Order: sequence, then C-alpha cells, then structure tokens
Amino acid sequence: MTEQEVVVTSDAGVHARPAMMIVKEAMKYACEVKLIKDDVEADCKSIMSVLGLAIISGSRLIVRADGDDEATAVASIVTMIENNFRPYENSAQKN
Amino acid sequence: MEKRIQVKNFLDNTGIIDLQIRLVAGSSGLGREIRVGDINRPGLTLAGFYDFFAYDRIQIFGLGESAFLRQLSETQKRSVLEKFFSYEVLCCIFTHNEEPDRIFLEFADKHGVPVFVTQKDTTKFTSSLVYLLNEAFAPTVTLHGTFVDVYGIGVLLIGKSGVGKSECALELVERGHRFIADDVVQIKRVDEQILMGSGSPLLKHHMEIRGLGIINVKDIFGIRSVRDRKRVELVVIMEEWDNNKQYDRLGLEETTHAILDLQIPSIMVPVRPGRNIPIIVETAALNQRLKKLGIFTARDLDRNIQENLKREGIGE
Repeated sequence: MTEQEVVVTSDAGVHARPAMMIVKEAMKYACEVKLIKDDVEADCKSIMSVLGLAIISGSRLIVRADGDDEATAVASIVTMIENNFRPYENSAQKN
Repeated sequence: MEKRIQVKNFLDNTGIIDLQIRLVAGSSGLGREIRVGDINRPGLTLAGFYDFFAYDRIQIFGLGESAFLRQLSETQKRSVLEKFFSYEVLCCIFTHNEEPDRIFLEFADKHGVPVFVTQKDTTKFTSSLVYLLNEAFAPTVTLHGTFVDVYGIGVLLIGKSGVGKSECALELVERGHRFIADDVVQIKRVDEQILMGSGSPLLKHHMEIRGLGIINVKDIFGIRSVRDRKRVELVVIMEEWDNNKQYDRLGLEETTHAILDLQIPSIMVPVRPGRNIPIIVETAALNQRLKKLGIFTARDLDRNIQENLKREGIGE
C-alpha cells in the first residue's frame, strides 16, 4: 500500500471536471485507488464517489493505492492535484 | 473515532421530529459538544447525591425536579445550584413548559449552560430525544456500492468499479423498483440488529452511467422510482465470472457479509456478458422474503429428497 497526503489549492475545489480528471487518471491503473478526506473514503475510479467528498480549496486529502502499480498511481494523482488540474485545461485549449 | 456533536447542531437538525423547545438561558454554551447518546434525570443530584452524576449528558428536568427546586428557600436553592453548576453540565431541558426561575437562569448564564424549555411531557420528550440521540450517535460507515429497494427488500450491490452495479440498478428502476443511492452508500447501525442505508445528501438520486454521464433518477423516472432510506437486508456481491471458481449451486448454506459488525445475508453473483443480473437480483430479493417467512427452498427440497430416498431404502 502506498499513500500520500496532498492539499487541494485549486480555487473552485473539485467539481465535476476535476473529478472526472481524477477518475480518468485512476482508471489508467489496475490497482485500487482511494481518496480520503476527513476519514471518509471514496473510490477514485467513481465520479460520484469523488464528487461526494465535497472537496474544496484547502481540503487535505490522502491518496491511497493498493496493487501492482500503486506507486505510480499515487504519484500521478498527487501531481495532478498539486498542479491544479492544469494538464486538462491545456489540452482543452489545444482542442 | 469518538463522535462529538455540538448542542446547537444537534437540536437544530431534528428533521421531522419537532422537539418544541425554546432557549431561555446560557446561549454562550450552545457550542458545547455532546459526546454520549444518553440522558440524565438530575433528581437525585439536586437532592445532594452526587455519586454517578452524569453531568456530561443532557439533563432532563421533569415535574419532579421543577417542584423540588420550587420548594427550596432562596439560600438553599443558591447552595444547591452552586454545587450543581460546579460540574461541567452539558445542557438542561425543562419539560411541561416549566420555566426555571431567575436564580436558575442566572447560574446557567454565568456557567454558559444552555437551558431549554419544552411544552412536551417528560416521557414523550425523552423518547423523541433518545431516538434522535441514537440516530446521531449510531456507528456509520460509507460504502462503495449501489443501494436499491427491490420488492421491499433493501438490496446493496457491491463489487469492483465497472462490474455493472449502476447498470443493474438502472434496469431494476426500469422494472419498477426504487433507487436509493449509487456509489456512495451511507450505512448506519441504528439498532443492534438494524442497518439503515441512505445516499449522500450531496449526491441525492444521481447516478453515473458510463457512456451517459451523470443522470438524475428522480427526474427521469419520477418520484415513485426513488426513496431516501431503507433497511439493508441483502448484500449482492457482483464479481466477474471466474472459470476457476466454484459458485454456489444449491443455496443450502446461508452466507453473510459483515457491515458494522452485523452479519447481513449475502449472495455472490458472477457476472458475464449476456447474463441478466437484474432478474437474478429480483429473484434473490423474493427468495430473501421467503426466507424471512421461514421458507427455505433448497433445504425443503433436500429434506423431501432425503425422505424419499429413505422410503425407497426400506422398500415402500
């Protein structure tokens, strides 16, 4: 099991689009990925579950993964949250 | 984790139950935290017996306590209340609309102990309050799954992401069953034997279906297709068909799944393309109702067969 803490800095918090990005990223990995906020656990591969956490700017999250590719999964999701979900916006502009 | 609820939050959010209370003193103490779901009648304490004084619970002053306070002289009352409020009393509620006198309110304000008055009588008020406290302090867990009411049986579908829980629920709703929650199911042990499941208030009646996105079941299928909470009575574990695994073919043994230390009857349903899972879930729910009535099909059939075999054995 690998886990890492991350603080959400994006102003709007995790609304639908960021939630989708987290889920899409998690889906790339075979391992089980969880997002934990205030002792409430959400399945990182489920949009509703991630939305249900009501993550706002400043929320402290733990990204926890269990399985073969756990280390990369945690690292990539943490990086994504730290970068304020920017990769998506960039690619959106390109389109 | 130990649960704590502020007095204010607790008494403000009583849902459909109206406690009919009003605050008369000690508003500065509304932020105090309730830590135990019990109540206390402070009769003995006021009379001077301070052993076992459960000051950290909600104190209920009934007709007896009010009458006792009333017959005290002012000096006596001051000394009684001095001692009473020297403990960190959580909050006091007077029933039967018995408003405490000036001295009591003075002490309460000084010590920041919220004091309420209710019109209800003690027994009725206590029973509502205990119900609310039980609800608030019930052990709770959030599970990843889908929760549907199928023929009056609360069926919790669990399994890995992508196994088809939401699609199965959608088909069940289409067949006239009621949807409660998808993905995030909050389960509360409201009683030693009862688990209640509901959805997260934020995601109410929404569901994500791959390829469709987020849909609102209530808007699409109407009010009859949803409900807010339901007792959890059957757990259906969905998993991808594994050719190397032996699945139950008889149903002679009852399997259970533990949630909050309670054993809930469960079945394991292997999923593979072309298998109609909703009909299996529907039948499982009906079968569960039969079992509740004491009809256990697999065992009954087995008993009949055994009796038959015995009869043939003795050459009837």
